[in-house]
Amino acid sequence: MATGLTKRYGDRTVVDDLTFTVGPGTVTGFLGPNGAGKSTTMRMLLGLDAPTRGRATIGGRPYAAHPAPLQEVGALLEARSVHPGRSAHDHLLALAHTHGIPRRRVDEVLELTGLSGVARRRVKGFSLGMGQRLGIAAALLGDPGTVILDEPVNGLDPEGVLWIRNLLKSLAAEGRTVFVSSHLMSEMALTADHLVIIGGGRLLADTSVTDFVRASGQDFVTVVTPQAARLRDLLAAPGVEIGSSGSAAAGARTSAEALAETLEIRGMDAAHIGRTAAAHSVPLFELTPRIASLEQAFMDLTRDAVEYRTSTALEGAKA
Amino acid sequence: MSTGTAGTDSPTGTGTGTSAPPGTGEGAAFPLPRHPRTYEVTQARVLRSEWHKLWSVRSTWITLLTASALTLAIGLTMGATYGTEGDDAGLDTVIMTLIGIQLAQIAYVVLGILVTAGEYGTGMVRASMTAVPRRLPALWAKAAVFAAVVLAVALATAFATFLGAQLFLAGTGQQASLGDPGIARGLAGNAVGLTLLGLLALGLGASTRSVPAAIGAVVGGVMILPEVLGMLPYDFVGNAVRYFPIRALDAVTSARPIPDAASPGAALLALALWAAGSLALAALTLRRRDV
Repeated sequence: MATGLTKRYGDRTVVDDLTFTVGPGTVTGFLGPNGAGKSTTMRMLLGLDAPTRGRATIGGRPYAAHPAPLQEVGALLEARSVHPGRSAHDHLLALAHTHGIPRRRVDEVLELTGLSGVARRRVKGFSLGMGQRLGIAAALLGDPGTVILDEPVNGLDPEGVLWIRNLLKSLAAEGRTVFVSSHLMSEMALTADHLVIIGGGRLLADTSVTDFVRASGQDFVTVVTPQAARLRDLLAAPGVEIGSSGSAAAGARTSAEALAETLEIRGMDAAHIGRTAAAHSVPLFELTPRIASLEQAFMDLTRDAVEYRTSTALEGAKA
Repeated sequence: MSTGTAGTDSPTGTGTGTSAPPGTGEGAAFPLPRHPRTYEVTQARVLRSEWHKLWSVRSTWITLLTASALTLAIGLTMGATYGTEGDDAGLDTVIMTLIGIQLAQIAYVVLGILVTAGEYGTGMVRASMTAVPRRLPALWAKAAVFAAVVLAVALATAFATFLGAQLFLAGTGQQASLGDPGIARGLAGNAVGLTLLGLLALGLGASTRSVPAAIGAVVGGVMILPEVLGMLPYDFVGNAVRYFPIRALDAVTSARPIPDAASPGAALLALALWAAGSLALAALTLRRRDV
């Protein structure tokens, strides 16, 4: 979808040589901290902003080159792209007219987004959630093969968030390409199958959610044992990494507890550790699997990007 | 809509990529909904869309009714209070009858600006430009719909105001009929002139992308500046000012030629060029700038 996409405003590079492809039938999360260039990238995909360099295509063509753009791509950009004095029905009908989309399709998307009851009311009085629903109704108007949504859950109540989550999944299940941006990793972890992560306008990762979790290497098991050295030897194997976070807590009540050491073990699951310890009669005071926090991995990744950029700038200055 | 043959294959198990438009043929491997027909953006459809947009907001009704009501009310007042004793032989009948357009033109100008610049204020422009990403068809459609509506309203208003005012003017020096020389031409010229002035404002709205900036540009540059320039003691400035929109509008409205003004034909041409120039600038801006 994007090839070498670059956008500069003056000397500020907002999107920097971005290349990625989004596939059909899955939800692709477009992640990055605020100001990473997500919205600008989406606007370039839709032809609203012209790239300084590179190409943005949808289905092999620039968005504007499609004879029926709304049938190709449905987009939700900033929450409100609506005249507040117009009714939801009139807004959608005006958009439908440009493509010759029939009136009944307008009623369909209003029904689908739960806005039928307020369709004749002026948009001015809509809540944030209703505004988002109207934006999604507009995105679905042309029954598009690709759906692009910029921060669709922003400002929604839990019910609205759940509704969006299910909608995205069902759109992908119908075989559509779903590309959705967010600055919340936790939200994407629940919705997306694939991730495109950017920071400072650059591509940081283009990976499946599963691979991202695996690669982030955050899964580990905490073990507290008085025979730390022995357990280390027993568990030693290729791919197993054992770290120590020092002696046990100061509140230890017995001498045994005081002697205990806390180990962080990566690359081996809790069951295997427990069985090995039992087989060799190594007492364990604690055995806790720690599940990777995607949010943490995401923050590490984007923080690294910032550090990377800073250090290269320094190197550049030295050279 | 979703009459597609729901396949049992895993949706991700195909290599067709995003290039396959939804529901292409029987070979589509994943169950996308089928379209009963394929949509397409055409200039005629964009016109229909802009027509619907224009009439689905209150500001259109308010500005048009205001313009009509002001013209009519002031025209009828002029007729009803016209004194027989004064020597008004120099006063042009059509100019006098339509004196209300001095105010009404502002309403038309505001409507023209709202049609284009208004979309930037509300964010609607993002939806519009996503639906019509080639952009220019939307500008042409806006201009055409606006011109047709304003021309019809201004034409009806001008003739109604004239006929209404004449009910009071029988027997005075300002008695006239539609058949008298210049009268029908002046009334029609006024409607066409107002339409062109409105298009000038519509174009400025599209170029500035801001309602206040565009109103400022029209009021300052189109309405006030020529008056200031006209006071300068240079002949060439005075000659040029004749072709400025507001002076030209007077020239096309007047039933009799105004001394020191452009001829109705030249004034009409000047107005058309002002409108065309403004729309050309708007088109260039729309093509070049990010939305």
